[in-house]
Amino acid sequence: MSASLAGTAADLATRIRRGDCSAREVTAACLERIAAHDGGLRAFVGVAAERALRAADRIDDRRARGEALGALAGVPIAWKDNLLVEGELATAGSRILEGFRAPYTATALARLERADAVLLGRTNLDEFGMGSSTESSAHGPTRNPVAPHLVPGGSSGGSAAAVAAGFCPIAIGSDTGGSVRQPASFCGVTGLKPGYGRVSRFGLIAYASSLDCVGAIARTAEDLALWLDAVAGRDDADPTTLPDAPPVFDRVVAGRDLRGLRVLAPREWHADGIDGEVLRRTEQARSQLAALGAAVGEGRLPAARHAVKAYYLLATGEAASNLARYDGVHFGPRRAAAGIDPTTATRTWGFGREVQLRILLGTFALSYGYSEQFHDAAERARAALRADFARAFERCDLVVAPTSPIPPFPIGETETDPLRRYLVDALTVPASLAGLPALSLPCGTTADGRPIGLQLIAPAGKEDVLLRAAHVFQLATTHHLARPIA
Amino acid sequence: MPQQPTIDQHLLHRLAGLARLRIEPDQEPELQRRLQAIVAAFADLPTDGEADTDGLPLPLRPDTASTPPGIDVVLTNAAQVADGQFVVPRVLDA
Repeated sequence: MSASLAGTAADLATRIRRGDCSAREVTAACLERIAAHDGGLRAFVGVAAERALRAADRIDDRRARGEALGALAGVPIAWKDNLLVEGELATAGSRILEGFRAPYTATALARLERADAVLLGRTNLDEFGMGSSTESSAHGPTRNPVAPHLVPGGSSGGSAAAVAAGFCPIAIGSDTGGSVRQPASFCGVTGLKPGYGRVSRFGLIAYASSLDCVGAIARTAEDLALWLDAVAGRDDADPTTLPDAPPVFDRVVAGRDLRGLRVLAPREWHADGIDGEVLRRTEQARSQLAALGAAVGEGRLPAARHAVKAYYLLATGEAASNLARYDGVHFGPRRAAAGIDPTTATRTWGFGREVQLRILLGTFALSYGYSEQFHDAAERARAALRADFARAFERCDLVVAPTSPIPPFPIGETETDPLRRYLVDALTVPASLAGLPALSLPCGTTADGRPIGLQLIAPAGKEDVLLRAAHVFQLATTHHLARPIA
Repeated sequence: MPQQPTIDQHLLHRLAGLARLRIEPDQEPELQRRLQAIVAAFADLPTDGEADTDGLPLPLRPDTASTPPGIDVVLTNAAQVADGQFVVPRVLDA
């Protein structure tokens, strides 16, 4: 690995600000590494090389003129291909957005540019974020840098693979039901889903608006804190954003131990249905949290048993509504077919099988005669889960669990039974339904070297507690330092 | 016990029509089977309890004037354009 890419994003920005290396040098090193290794992985669906080098040159020029540079000075950052950057393609991994060019830039990415980050390129994803393996992308699957026969997880699989492969120190994702945390877990990197409303969704192609969150993947919790401070806060373009909150970085990196932190492990999430090696590694991680000073106890979240059902009914209902805009008129190509209207022809051609299945399920859940038994019941289950979490957080500061019940599986062996596939999300959807901040960090591997992630969930507004605990864990462990590609 | 709806061919056609999707006849049995399995598994959500959505924030965008993107920008991604407008496919028979 090029010396200019070693270390954290925080180190890199400091070195660029000091003039130890230039932004162009760092960006060029990323582009070279992508050219050398991404052919076999396909983490990226589009590399914005010229745009990135121009941005890097502007940063170097400003430094040469003596101007102060931002917190992410010269740090190359990839973005998931369901976020908009003005003038760049944005496909959401779908044929239906073939050729679509973004008319404006997403707030979460504009704020990165404002902090002097360099936007590097678009990463692969499951179509519209609907999947857990990045195999449903119209661009084809992404491979896991840890072992290319494995999936990288999903839906932000391209972003997780890009960070794991060392193509960039930070990559942006989105997390509706686990789409940042699960791929981070599968690729042995760290992924943060902030609380709902902490980061603007303006310019994020919508899947399920009451659940969608912009998140990020990096090697360390420290870098995720740096990212969060750059992008979080109120945005009038997204009325669901929360008011500005104090920055977290200094509090996160000041953490040295976990004394006084109360951690709760729900019994339901450390039981049947969880792979044996995943259980063993996450139990070891709980012991490490205790050794660092945390008080780790067990508790219950009974309403979580309905979380997968509630999630899929609510998410698909919102998806059916959000994806109605792809009508063959406003965006993308229009298709014709004999005997059917162009809108139906375009949608049938443009949406993949999983997206069509979810649209049909969501249409069912919202349709006359069924909405009370399905959609409304799912809303009640979400309310019960929120209440469970509120009770749990009266006696703890963090909830701990495995991120995924299974380790990464081989490409092409994704379960074809949709029900069993959806159950793999059982441990990530509860925090999504409750709108809580949650994070996955590496905590070891299976005997054959497949990464395992530990999930931490915090109360609303407590991203600082979450990231600080993860930072302390990473100060004491080396799992996050593994680099699958030298 | 809550009732389990049956995803029969009639309901599948109704859903596909609402969703503006065409299901090829040879794909119908498999899709019916998949949807039926999901719906059967999801039919046991508790019907009691309250969905306390009243307490959730429902913020509104400030009602202020702003400059929208120009017509050219809006039309850039249109499937078909004529005279600065979207061309909408015919939806009614002539």
